[in-house]
Amino acid sequence: MKPLRRTLILSAAVIAASFGLGGQVLAQAKEPLRFGLAMPLTGSQALFGADQAKAAQWAVEDINAKGGIDGHKLEMILLDTQADPRLGINAVNRLVNVDKVPVFGTAWSAVVKAVAPIANRSEVLALSVGANSPEIAKLGDYVYTTYPLADVDVVAQARYARETLKKERAAVLYIHNDSGVEGAKIYRDAFEKMGGKVVSYEAYDAQSTDYTGALLKVRTSNADIIHIQGLVSDLPQVIAQLRQLGLKQPISTYSAGYNPKIIAQLGAAAEGLLVSALAPSAEQNPRIAEFVERWKKAENRIPNGLPYTQYLYDMPYLIGELYGHLLKTKQPLTGPNMRKALVEVANFDLPMTGKLTVGADHRVNKPVYLFEVKGGQFVPVATVQ
Amino acid sequence: MEYVASMLVLVGLYIILASSFNLIIGFGGLISIAHPIFFALGAYTVGVLSVKFGVHPVLSVIAGFFVALVASFALSLPSLRISGDYLLITSIGFQLGLLEIIKNLDFVGGASGLGGIPNVVSGQRNLVFAGVSLGVALIVVLAVRALVRGPYGRAIKAMRDDELAFLALGRNAMNIKIAIFALGSGMAGVAGGLYAYYYQYVTPDQFQILQSAMILTMVVVGGMGSVLGPVVGAVLLLLLPEAITFLNLPSGIMGPLQGVIFTSLVILFLFLRPQGLIAPAKRVEGGH
Repeated sequence: MKPLRRTLILSAAVIAASFGLGGQVLAQAKEPLRFGLAMPLTGSQALFGADQAKAAQWAVEDINAKGGIDGHKLEMILLDTQADPRLGINAVNRLVNVDKVPVFGTAWSAVVKAVAPIANRSEVLALSVGANSPEIAKLGDYVYTTYPLADVDVVAQARYARETLKKERAAVLYIHNDSGVEGAKIYRDAFEKMGGKVVSYEAYDAQSTDYTGALLKVRTSNADIIHIQGLVSDLPQVIAQLRQLGLKQPISTYSAGYNPKIIAQLGAAAEGLLVSALAPSAEQNPRIAEFVERWKKAENRIPNGLPYTQYLYDMPYLIGELYGHLLKTKQPLTGPNMRKALVEVANFDLPMTGKLTVGADHRVNKPVYLFEVKGGQFVPVATVQ
Repeated sequence: MEYVASMLVLVGLYIILASSFNLIIGFGGLISIAHPIFFALGAYTVGVLSVKFGVHPVLSVIAGFFVALVASFALSLPSLRISGDYLLITSIGFQLGLLEIIKNLDFVGGASGLGGIPNVVSGQRNLVFAGVSLGVALIVVLAVRALVRGPYGRAIKAMRDDELAFLALGRNAMNIKIAIFALGSGMAGVAGGLYAYYYQYVTPDQFQILQSAMILTMVVVGGMGSVLGPVVGAVLLLLLPEAITFLNLPSGIMGPLQGVIFTSLVILFLFLRPQGLIAPAKRVEGGH
């Protein structure tokens, strides 16, 4: 029995090793241009991370199908972070030290913060694509975001509630993690600065599935509007429970709520929900309608967290432009040059999310599109520049 | 090389964690799973001391050791009067409760985590940290070995195997339990301190139940109650998922494969080798 087991283990190892060798890409005529992507492909956030990674994969295929960048193929190295900072660090260590990429993308605020020191120390450009913690702008020279941080759309949402809807009393409900805590604080400060009053400020735990305690406190506060800073994964549940408890006030949230899945999951409970989007909708940009069609064809469903997948689809295009800039100006393809290219190019026009300007202050500014759910559709109500 | 060194840092840290946890659970027979909270306390102690007060790294890590050691009394004094399942439940509560408190403390960064921990090593950073963490790991393993092979170790095992007989001999089991718990927790605090300096960012999310499961798996797979078991377990469980990423499998397969690796290992070991990879030396079999 023993020798047999040993043989089995050995043969498994041999097979695994041969897979590894066989999987290596053959050298091409022109060196491929590589970049890394570290996303949650497993774990609690995989539902969204995997779709975002797929969108980036599609973009790489589309770019290569059109001849790549200046005749070079673009190549993406995809690693799993499980949205866990420790695994994110492992993944980025590998991308930087083994794969030697000059630029990589990642998301989820805790992961972005955890890998920032590595990017700064190794002088490799880190692009945060979808995390919105305002602290991301201050993580160091090599960390840039391609996604507007919470202060952009959350402030727009507070302004709309206070100035257009004339709401006096707001309740703020947030998930107790970094993005929730920071986003809620921004909403509260903005709403109070405009003369409103925040009458309830409640957190719910990231791991819980029942939010009754926090919601009852919100109910007793008698607010005119309820703003939720949650994650794509828990928003539908929170809104459904709010409505079940008989709260009829308008509910607003930020870009995590701009997601066709929310309407599908909530049905009638989604009516009147105010969301912001940081990317134009299918009505405003025909390419997005095609993009959604492509999902339906390939996966028989709409993507989880559509706006995020739009940003992820655009990321390889942005990196491609940086590579193109360096090739044109005949500069070595290093991390410091990548960073320089990002600052020099600064203005991008991307297929899914439109114009993007990367500022020297590590922030991006974009118009915020506000939508309200009416008749099971996101209907544009305002655009805040 | 840099990458290998960065993995070795982790290996060293987890050897410290798994060995010290093995001291508590494997030798002491105290079923607690709150080990990551002491890891967290060490990390946060270093974070606060270095960011807010600029304390010397060596002193901060030593402080991490003592903070974790002292905090262990908060769990051990009330709960070691009970044992088995009750201790398990208390320890879960202790870990989650303390993490919630950390999440609500603004001066340690709350839910956003604590960043800006200074980089104390410049040049060959990964290699230096790998050396330090493996060095400390070696000291911890040797210390555990010396402890359990000496007369005190015999008392610990006697207490674990038959507490009633042990008490009948007039020995004080409570003191031994508290001492083991404090020492094991203090070691986890040291690992936390090194972790904070290496990663320069700590967040409460890193010390959740998943972390408990990981350290527990290392001890179980390696061999509970043996000195080298946790070392083998830590190396195996850290390097295996990393090795898989080099197989260049499509992400559709890679994701799930990494997800099931821990689960399947535990199940396999429970059936094939319940004593773990390395069986404890001279364990008395049979007779209950």
